[in-house]
Amino acid sequence: MNPRRRFAAIALWWLVLALAAFGVQRTLVVGNDLRGFLPPPRNADQKVLMDEIGDGPASRLLLMAISGAPPERLADLSRGLVRALRADARFTQVFDGDESVAQLDPVLLPYRYLLSPTLDRAQFDTTFLRDQLEQRIEDLGSPAGAALGEILPRDPTLETLVLAQRWTPHHAPALRDGVWSSARGEALLVAATRASGLDTAAQSAAIATVRAAFAAMPDAASAKLEISGPGYIGAHVAASTRAEAERLSAIGTAGFALLLLIAYRSWSILALVALPLASGALAGLAVIIIIFGGAHGITLAFGFTLLGVAQEYPVRVFSHRRAGESAIATVRAVWPLLRLAIVSACIAYLAFLVSGVPGLQQLAVFTIVALLVAGFATRWLLPALLPEKFRDVASSTLMQRAQRWLAAMPRPRALPWIALALGLSALWFAPAPLWQNDLAALAPAPAKELAREGELRAALGAPDVRYLLVLHADTAEGVLRLSETISPQVDKWISTHAVDDVELPSRWLPSLETQRARQAKLPDRATLTTALNAALADLPFKPGYFAPFLDDVETARGLPPLDPATFERSPFGARLAAMLVEREGAWYGLATLDGVHDPVALAGIATQTHGAVKLLDLKSESEILVAQYRVRILQALGVAFVLLVLAVGIAFRDGRRAWHVLAPMTLATLLAIAVLRGCGVPLSLFHLVAITLAAGLGLHYALFFERPVADAAEARRTLHATLVCVAAAVLVFGLLATSTVPVLRAIGATVALGVAFHFILSTQMAMRGGDDAR
Amino acid sequence: MFLPALTLLAATSSQAPDATALIARLKRPLPATTAYTEVRFLHQLTRPLVLHGELEYGGADKLGKRVDAPYRESTQVEGDGVTVTRDGREPRHFDLGRAPELKVLMGGFSALLGGDADALQLLYTITLVDNAPNWTLTLQPRDTTLSKHLRKFVIDGAASDPHCFSLQQANGDSSVMLLGALAATTLPQPPTPAALAAICRAAR
Repeated sequence: MNPRRRFAAIALWWLVLALAAFGVQRTLVVGNDLRGFLPPPRNADQKVLMDEIGDGPASRLLLMAISGAPPERLADLSRGLVRALRADARFTQVFDGDESVAQLDPVLLPYRYLLSPTLDRAQFDTTFLRDQLEQRIEDLGSPAGAALGEILPRDPTLETLVLAQRWTPHHAPALRDGVWSSARGEALLVAATRASGLDTAAQSAAIATVRAAFAAMPDAASAKLEISGPGYIGAHVAASTRAEAERLSAIGTAGFALLLLIAYRSWSILALVALPLASGALAGLAVIIIIFGGAHGITLAFGFTLLGVAQEYPVRVFSHRRAGESAIATVRAVWPLLRLAIVSACIAYLAFLVSGVPGLQQLAVFTIVALLVAGFATRWLLPALLPEKFRDVASSTLMQRAQRWLAAMPRPRALPWIALALGLSALWFAPAPLWQNDLAALAPAPAKELAREGELRAALGAPDVRYLLVLHADTAEGVLRLSETISPQVDKWISTHAVDDVELPSRWLPSLETQRARQAKLPDRATLTTALNAALADLPFKPGYFAPFLDDVETARGLPPLDPATFERSPFGARLAAMLVEREGAWYGLATLDGVHDPVALAGIATQTHGAVKLLDLKSESEILVAQYRVRILQALGVAFVLLVLAVGIAFRDGRRAWHVLAPMTLATLLAIAVLRGCGVPLSLFHLVAITLAAGLGLHYALFFERPVADAAEARRTLHATLVCVAAAVLVFGLLATSTVPVLRAIGATVALGVAFHFILSTQMAMRGGDDAR
Repeated sequence: MFLPALTLLAATSSQAPDATALIARLKRPLPATTAYTEVRFLHQLTRPLVLHGELEYGGADKLGKRVDAPYRESTQVEGDGVTVTRDGREPRHFDLGRAPELKVLMGGFSALLGGDADALQLLYTITLVDNAPNWTLTLQPRDTTLSKHLRKFVIDGAASDPHCFSLQQANGDSSVMLLGALAATTLPQPPTPAALAAICRAAR
């Protein structure tokens, strides 16, 4: 191919890739939710758990503070922001304390006698009414009584006030100019997002909406809006992790390009080297979109990491070119071994496909398709595009010296066994816990953000993110009755400071049974009129002033009790909707807790209620899920290893050769884990993926070192290719290892360490010397 | 602290020098306590409520109002927080913003007895009618949020003593507080706003 056509062909390939990338990017829906990566729930209980992990009502809250303006101005800004956010579909609830006590929603107002617990303890008789009316006179006598407003003739017993107090968080912030205010004088508000707290993309969008709504208000510029909450911190951490990863990858890519220039002295290599990998990645993504309709963020992160293996394919071709041989001939010569590496890796990843975990299946499909396409591109497309002119790396004096040095290196037969013994004892005696189950520990939020979140959460009396009380019954009514049954126990907890507050669903909506009982206690019009008149006796209320009260009680007597569906249409409905959920025919009540001081005492409720009410510790439950998930990954990796051994064994039909390839790879993997353990690093999923990638690279080193070659020059080319690959991997992943973000450090350090071990052990155990072959 | 406020007053009121001198004379050492008799005319009731008790002004953001008869109640304002305590009941706490009437009273006390005339001038248009030794200060809210609740706030007095605080609400309700020696006055039966106004203005 002449240079011009070659150039056109390379440009065309890039163009096709760019178009494909555009298409993939347009159709790709990236889910950031860890839960899709977990085994599918097997029963309704697990389903509820899965729904609530990192996604309970508490983790959907954005906590906000406005400061930097006079109090009245802050209150106006707070109200303005609430109005704007209430009109936005991204938010289900927005509160700033500005709920006028007397303004119960028209939907709920007639139901107040059924919703309020007043009638559980009292009757609307003369004695009760007289006491209430005397109190109302005192209210009217007080300059503080103005809040009674116009509701008095309808509601002389102030049930609206009782309900308002019942529905206000126990530790609601103080009000200042009618809105919540912190001790420092900031206006406080809280918004619940519709999207999950784990969905960092949706959380970022919600945060942007809040900022835009705030900035759009007149003279908001002088004031400062601060946002916090689990979703905010999650989005913040994801963004900073991504920024850090991108920064380090950019440096790594530049370093890799420099490395290639030094190794091959050719600019056009740079245009070619990324083509197989990019083609493979895009093909993998496209297939995932077709099969699964979208990709999990973790699939992509893990998948692209594992795909690092494919970067070796073109490097092997570049290094193995020799004078007087066409590029096609070079590829043909290395292809059997490359094919063996690709096919055995693909066979190994089949184990992920049958794991039954959706995220792992996606990962398997992505990796297998990407590796096959990258291999195909290297074999059939790349050779035609290689430049005619090149430098045979075998002629490099540096390579000759390196080869001599490596060949002369002592290879004590006992070394692998000593390394094995050391590795096993390090694994055995390492003091640190073996596994890291807290995924949040890998991408920790800055301490300052966490402290601020805790501060705002406490100031707002917002619920705890970690604990949740789950009530289970066959029907919604059953859940509400259960909620009423445990209410006295909850009061006991609060009085013994086991917990500051528990928001039970029955606090919002009593069961139909309770509502009917209250309804039955409402007197008929004649009885109530007599009692009221007797109570009014010498009090100075105007005649007929309480006629609306008589009407409302009469109405309440005839109302059908309020069901959850009707309640959920009221402004408070979203609160109940979040607390009362149906999963596969069973009903669950989710009670949020505030200030959990004694989880052990709370957990005791499970035995008292025979399991109908359970304290859910979302942190430990999610750690259990991660642990279960890890077991699945380890099983899959175990099967993958067996498949790999079989594939290599069958390909070689020679146990000794297979041993030379597989033994260094296995030992290096063990040593990498041993070093991590020895350094006290608990292993996470990310370490496992990094170890898998390193093993894939190590397989290449061993395969190529073990390959029988005709002469020392060819062995030098193998060494050159391997050194370029090792240097590239150590460079790119070593950079990641310098990151301050633990997850990047985990991947980077593990791969860099693994690659080093794989290289050393391959030279020790798999390498052939060329004409002086063993 | 007084001087700039008084300059402001001077600029906006025709009787400015008198108002200046008057407010200077009204300043009291803290804490200032006084007995009161309050008559409240309310649209819900057929006859006015009459309350007896004591007011205690403890500084810019501290006010106590005690009712001794016909029932017992104590209202304490501290900063933006209000606590109402009645015999045999749990104290109630709420935000001053929820009780506009109390907020007006609070602001009036602060400005008159503590000297925050600056804030007073920002919130109200002030007019002074001086029939020496008697005088009447009338405060009308400038702010629309305040004028939704309050039509005017009138302070009657003689020489350096305030005698009455009268509030007229936007909804037609009103209240008159007779202070100090006037709290012991025998009220006309039934008490009317006009009769009370006469008492407030006649006293020396």
